[in-house]
Amino acid sequence: MEKAKISASQLFILMVLFELGSALLVPLAIDAKQDAWLAILLGMVFSFVLLLIYHKLYTYYPNLLPTEYMQRILGKVLGTALAFVYILYFMYDASRVLRDFGEMLLTFAYPDTPLFIANALLMLVIIYTIRKGIEVIARSGELLFIFMYVLAIAGFILIVSSGLIEIKNLQPILEEGLFPVLKVVFTQTLYFPFTEVIVFTMIFPYLNNPKKAKVTMLCASGLSGINLIITMLINVSVLGVDLTARSQYPLLSTIESIQVANFLERLDVFFMLALIITIFFKICVLFYAAVVGTASLFKVKSPSRLSYPLGLIILFLSITIASNVQEHNHEGLKVAMFTIHIPLLGLIPPLLLLVAFFKNRKKHGKNTFN
Amino acid sequence: MMSMTFLLTSCWSKKELTDLAIVAAMGVDKTKDGRYHLTLQIINPGNVAGGMVGGGGTQSPPVTIYSASGDNLVEASRRASGRISRRLYYAHTNLVVVGEKMAREEGLNTLIDAFDRDPEFRNTSTLVIANHSTAADLVKTLTPVDKIPANKVLKTLEFTERKWGENVKTSLQEVMKSLESPGRGTVVSGFRLVGNPQQAQKLDNLQESEPEATLRASGIAVLKQGKLVDWLYGKPARGTVWILDKIQGTDINIDWEGRKEVIAYQTVRQKTSVSAQVKNGKPHISVHTRVEGDISEMEVPVDITNPKVITKIEQSVRKEIKKELRKAIERAQKNKTDILGFGEVVHRTRPNQFKKLKTEWNDVYFPKLDVDITVEAYVRRAGLRNKSFLSGVKENQK
Repeated sequence: MEKAKISASQLFILMVLFELGSALLVPLAIDAKQDAWLAILLGMVFSFVLLLIYHKLYTYYPNLLPTEYMQRILGKVLGTALAFVYILYFMYDASRVLRDFGEMLLTFAYPDTPLFIANALLMLVIIYTIRKGIEVIARSGELLFIFMYVLAIAGFILIVSSGLIEIKNLQPILEEGLFPVLKVVFTQTLYFPFTEVIVFTMIFPYLNNPKKAKVTMLCASGLSGINLIITMLINVSVLGVDLTARSQYPLLSTIESIQVANFLERLDVFFMLALIITIFFKICVLFYAAVVGTASLFKVKSPSRLSYPLGLIILFLSITIASNVQEHNHEGLKVAMFTIHIPLLGLIPPLLLLVAFFKNRKKHGKNTFN
Repeated sequence: MMSMTFLLTSCWSKKELTDLAIVAAMGVDKTKDGRYHLTLQIINPGNVAGGMVGGGGTQSPPVTIYSASGDNLVEASRRASGRISRRLYYAHTNLVVVGEKMAREEGLNTLIDAFDRDPEFRNTSTLVIANHSTAADLVKTLTPVDKIPANKVLKTLEFTERKWGENVKTSLQEVMKSLESPGRGTVVSGFRLVGNPQQAQKLDNLQESEPEATLRASGIAVLKQGKLVDWLYGKPARGTVWILDKIQGTDINIDWEGRKEVIAYQTVRQKTSVSAQVKNGKPHISVHTRVEGDISEMEVPVDITNPKVITKIEQSVRKEIKKELRKAIERAQKNKTDILGFGEVVHRTRPNQFKKLKTEWNDVYFPKLDVDITVEAYVRRAGLRNKSFLSGVKENQK
């Protein structure tokens, strides 16, 4: 662990940017059709339960990284193995997001550029940032957060003022009943993007005011959830369900539809900037968690030295992860969701908490007995 | 850090402005052997600007036409590169024209994907069906006033939709959405070449004060499952635009004391809403329109200083509008094509019942639909004068 401290507001900003990350890019929860927003809302609400579990674990070991307290909870061997799995998960997730980024750029703006170049350019910047540590990431977050919201609000006003929104597209609500929505909630939105914030448990120990961790976490999830709901509401009401579902990047199509006063149009750059900012932070946080996790697990003295080798691994992983966009998306939604996200984000943390609870009660009990 | 700055300055797929052929409009036809025939209207940058400043100093036209055929649109477009010295650039293509024959026989469904998928091409561009001609002839026509023919078409549609309301301007995205919607017919704007197509391509055509061959907005194309089935003109067309809630301003003539169409009423704003009920499995639609407008011409002596007269005029306007809407609905029902979006309304408000109606909506339920029309019309103002000029004349002759 490096000796750095971040404030609660910085954590808040990082979490919001993280959760918006690649979730802004894709047609999130579109399997629930016009009720996508509802699926996101419910996903957000249910995610609070898991977030509280992550937080509870943190309160047991406020000064330890999860990779360390897993060893305390499960014992040396099992804990180390599990910690290693989580580090791999963070790196895999980072490379997925990096791939999303590269595919977005190539599909839409740079058709002739090789994927490797696009990804490598972003990765170089990220490696550089990681070397500078968490404080630098947090501070650059503060700067770009404001910029990001200026973009978002300007975009929102333009969409509303060009009269594109047709609320009719959102009707009928719950056409097929509540079941399909809940299915989407528990297989998609609960994990992506909401409980992905488990990675922030790696950053909690840097918080200068640990008491604020809980409120910050819930507020950040709430804000980004609301933002995602608004985005999806706008996408569906502008494009309609079918077009949104067919779009690789519905938000891009929505922004391309803006035509105000015959000259304010083709504002695709809004989308690009917003996505580059949020994706940058998402990868940064995941990558940083992987770096400090590895450092603590293998007792590396200065974590920043790990940023080059691990960064290169993420870069190459992002290229080899899938041979085309369709495979990449399928992997994300179908394969990784059930084999990686659900166990690591939904099942293991509650079990850890259960074990930690009994261990600590025993300790606590002994103390009172003596 | 230094090495990174070098990386960032690269221009991988650079496109110099002088290497781009800006496509302003694109026409799609079907050849006899079933291939696509693509006609591209490319802007001659020098001639557009030169013509405006120097007052017609240049001798060549503002646009150049290239065409190519292929088994699909992408092939045709790539093939065309053999004829053009520059790279085709579609980001500014604001107009897509589809030939009537192609729209009738093959429909638009097969075309949409190529436009929708391409990142350079914009979904906001306008889709037009060439009325009684091929897309090629329409795209080749040179036009006065607005030098670039594509702009002429777009502006004409925009203004006539706003001022007269018998035409609509439909973007590719709108058409796409309505083609996709279950049990829905589609409307597309129509454009027509009036005159000799050979003459229309020549610069000589523009050197007359009244060009022999011109382009004009004409009709609304009715599409059923992507295929052209009917053209709407006149009152059914306006009624359709009206029910689609797209009328901005138009002019309605009413009869007065036995004389036909003598008072002109111009609408300023209107709002049309459609609602649906389902009774005993039978859908029932209500259309409600609210119009506000001014009196703009009276060819009979009328004293409108009397509010009772205004009420009477309002009533006639109501009747007139109702008649028009009724015509539009009857025409759509005759075509068995729900271009008015009634099915969508039923779907939104009664999703469960619509499931049963969905498959046979256009052919069975829609033609037999009961539709209630209610119109509220208000006269707000009457221009600079109150009584009609003729009423003054009449009084003085007494």
